[in-house]
Amino acid sequence: MNTPPGRDPERLGAAPGDVKPLREAPPIGVQHAQAERLLKAWKTPQGWRYWSAVNNSQVGLWYTAAAFAFFLFGGILALLMRTQLAVPGNDFLSADFYNQIFTLHGSVMMFLFAVPLFEAFSIFLLPQMLGARDLPFPRLSAFGFWSFLLGGTFVCGSLFFNAAPQGGWFMYPPLSSQYQPGIGNDIWLLGLSFIELAAIAAAVEIIVGVLKTRSPGMRINLMPLYAWYILVVAGMILFAFPPLIAGDILLELERLLHWPFFDPDRGGDPLLWQHLFWIFGHPEVYIVFLPAIALVAMMVPTFARTPMVGYGWIVLAAVGTGFLSFGLWVHHMFTTGLPGISLALFSAASEAVAIPTGVQLFCFIATLLAGRVVRSVPLLFVFGGLAVFVLGGLTGVMVALVPFDFQAHDTYFIVAHLHYVLVGGAVFPVIAGFYYFFPLVGGKKLSDRLGRITFWLLFIGFNVTFLPMHLSGLLGMPRRVFTYAPNLGFDGLNLISSIGAFILAAGFAVFVWDVLRPKGKQPYAQRNPWGAGTLEWTAEMPDKPWGIRSIPEIDGRYPLWDQPNILRDIDEGRFYLPDAEEGKRETLITTSVDAQPIQCLRVPGPTWLTLFAALFTGGLFIFATFHLWWVAVASGVLAFAIIIAWLWTGTALIPEKEEKNVGLGLRLPLYRSGPESVGWWAMFITMLADMTAFAGLVFGYFFYWTIHDDFPPDPSPAPSLFGLMLLGAVLLLGSWGLTVLVRRWNQGDRRAAFYGGLPVAVALAVAGGATLLAGPWHAGLDPVSHVYPAMVWLLVLWTVLHVAVGVIMQGYCLAQRLAGRMTARYDIEIRNVTLYWHFVALTVAITVAVIAGFPLVA
Amino acid sequence: MHIDPLERRWIILTLVLMLAITGVLLGYAIAANLHPPSNVETIDSTRLHLTPEFAEDKLGVAKNPDGTLTVTMVAGRYGFYPQHVEVPVATPVTFRIASADVLHGVHVPLTNLSTMIVPGYVSEVTTLFEKTGEYPLLCNEYCGLGHDHMWSRLTVISPQ
Repeated sequence: MNTPPGRDPERLGAAPGDVKPLREAPPIGVQHAQAERLLKAWKTPQGWRYWSAVNNSQVGLWYTAAAFAFFLFGGILALLMRTQLAVPGNDFLSADFYNQIFTLHGSVMMFLFAVPLFEAFSIFLLPQMLGARDLPFPRLSAFGFWSFLLGGTFVCGSLFFNAAPQGGWFMYPPLSSQYQPGIGNDIWLLGLSFIELAAIAAAVEIIVGVLKTRSPGMRINLMPLYAWYILVVAGMILFAFPPLIAGDILLELERLLHWPFFDPDRGGDPLLWQHLFWIFGHPEVYIVFLPAIALVAMMVPTFARTPMVGYGWIVLAAVGTGFLSFGLWVHHMFTTGLPGISLALFSAASEAVAIPTGVQLFCFIATLLAGRVVRSVPLLFVFGGLAVFVLGGLTGVMVALVPFDFQAHDTYFIVAHLHYVLVGGAVFPVIAGFYYFFPLVGGKKLSDRLGRITFWLLFIGFNVTFLPMHLSGLLGMPRRVFTYAPNLGFDGLNLISSIGAFILAAGFAVFVWDVLRPKGKQPYAQRNPWGAGTLEWTAEMPDKPWGIRSIPEIDGRYPLWDQPNILRDIDEGRFYLPDAEEGKRETLITTSVDAQPIQCLRVPGPTWLTLFAALFTGGLFIFATFHLWWVAVASGVLAFAIIIAWLWTGTALIPEKEEKNVGLGLRLPLYRSGPESVGWWAMFITMLADMTAFAGLVFGYFFYWTIHDDFPPDPSPAPSLFGLMLLGAVLLLGSWGLTVLVRRWNQGDRRAAFYGGLPVAVALAVAGGATLLAGPWHAGLDPVSHVYPAMVWLLVLWTVLHVAVGVIMQGYCLAQRLAGRMTARYDIEIRNVTLYWHFVALTVAITVAVIAGFPLVA
Repeated sequence: MHIDPLERRWIILTLVLMLAITGVLLGYAIAANLHPPSNVETIDSTRLHLTPEFAEDKLGVAKNPDGTLTVTMVAGRYGFYPQHVEVPVATPVTFRIASADVLHGVHVPLTNLSTMIVPGYVSEVTTLFEKTGEYPLLCNEYCGLGHDHMWSRLTVISPQ
């Protein structure tokens, strides 16, 4: 009988919660055989091959360790700064070195610690919380991690060669573009852009992971709050990081090729950088804060021994914070001289964001009131963090008021404010998270005694350091000075701050010792040591590499509390996928809202390809920094070849059978394409980020147009561009249309049409791209002369680059079909490429409309 | 939807408070015409010294017909020009400042005089000093190696 894949007839239409585990456990011999096969499939490589692992528990661990190492590095930089500032007129550090250090301190803490650490935690914890074996793209996680490690080491290492960036973590031009010629700022721009790409890769992984790999029955309103928060944050990354990447491109082009985007002498505008930077920079604060508060949201119910009060309110508040955070960026620019109406608007929005934040805190307090609180070290850090954060939040409400901000702007008051927010809102919860989740790493707890010592050292040290800064700020001490004159009232306060910094450092030293100290004799923690209710605590102590023994059917927010015998049922393999018959790594894909199982996804195993892909991609950026063009190109070509090899050998493989029995009477397909495949989602999400970066560039165009009379210059060069741009657009849209047709022909298995159509699409795209380039070339636009031609060239180059990638993708589909790796039924590649081309078509249309069309109507 | 009576009272109280605060802000903004400083005015920073306003001999304090003062300054790495400004107490003073090179900021601690100075723009801010004395006029926007010693003196004197 030919039934469609899915539940067997008697289970068809079973409501969530109706699906029960197997009534009888499989015989013990069968259980052992299953466990053995699972272990074999998920075995972590040994010896030096260990570093080829891609499984989330390994990559997450490395990621965490690396991000924390960067945190310690950033902390040491802070100690150096506090030593320099302890007394007035100090010459412990030179101004030059101090500038490098404060630039790196901010950049490291933001880009190499705060954001990556949450990615690390998520890669490590998410699959466990969702009851998945792994995230859908483990190799992408590994690639992201290696990129991050390489880029971060590069940026930090520059300090040892006295070549670190010194433009501040905010890199304001024209200081950072024209007045600091060394390679430091290039290292910042290229190294961190590389890391931003890794962050976007992690965001794609996390969004698809949360939406598609949840346990069956874990509807979207049942998933752990951590997953909600992280979904919001990953969404924010998609829209916050691309504007910064757009800004990085503009600034690097100005530094490298003298295109005058921020040079007021040639029509540029330094304020554009500030807009692009803070459109990223403010959401960034919440990108740091929300994941940390997500950890709190996991710990509070555990220690209150009761479900979270106001789950729905917290989700709404998290989403609301995410939205509002994009409407606040101008409050970093209140003193730049903006129209009064925008000051009022952004001030109001900055006040308003306190509301959803408050909602979350009150929900936590209500939960603690409703339950019976169990004292513990993680909870101590949670309390300390929330107290510190609330103080930072209150000064935040103060500086959100424009008149007050004018007096506090760029003084130490702001330094105090932002450290109260970030240390209270992120560092304390993260340390709490370390104490709470540490048993998942090696099966052993951290020490309670050392934990309490750490807490008090950190809490006291922090307040001694940063409380006096409120006062020195109000007395007028400006930020980013490497020393200050005596008798201005700053002396005593700075000395107190410096002493506090060392107490703080002592606290971290105790913590690091606690993590690193040999724990050989310490017994393993008992399973679920804190008595939590969520799925990550199904892990055995020490944990097995398979993620979860069998994937359960969920019908509540706290399955370990709500579902009787769930641990036994999972362990005995009474749920889904208790076995790895084919020796493959498998996990379940479910629908994004109701979590109905729709596919059994095979995830790839260990590989060296991702490590080398990251290495050579990094080489492209690093060698370009040193202007070693040929080495950079060679490295780029190698990276490209490895990535193609990775895609060719590791993605969209045609399975040996159509569907498989995953247990409990459920048969699921092994291959799905189009909008039902995870790859399609990943492409869609990636392209949203890509379009956002493009929108950042287009925003730049219109920013110049609104502020400056000479943009576009008179007489407008647009008419001479018009013909070629239009022709290019027609050719490219033709290539797009043909790609869409080719996808249909492939689906209908019309081989002749497929093999005939795709090369024509390639030819049209190449011709269209060349025509677009010919436009500004023919019009004689010189990008160095003025910002207008620079902007035109940039938009055209951006579009042509996308077309070039599109051409490669078209060629890849052709090769895949020729090699028999893509067929009418198994067509993920051409579907994803078509999706990509939809976005290319949009990019082309916007570019041509802006460059050739807009000046005619303006 | 059921809302606990106590919770409902808190919600209403909060809403009333929010409305009241918004009302006070709007009232002052409209009735008393109180606004934060704001000025969008572009200038060609390469030709700063050739403009009638920011030419070297035009910098400094000038008296307006209505008795208020205008202080014209140029900020450049690493100083404000002129380096010493003297203004009378309790008189409205308008500072107009342009940058010759990078971003600078100006802040006079313990007063509300503060603005960013963006190359290509003219920054304008009006204030009134209530206490006589010597004030430092500091650069608070990181501008490079000499950022820490970029400051001028501001003297507020009594009008005899």
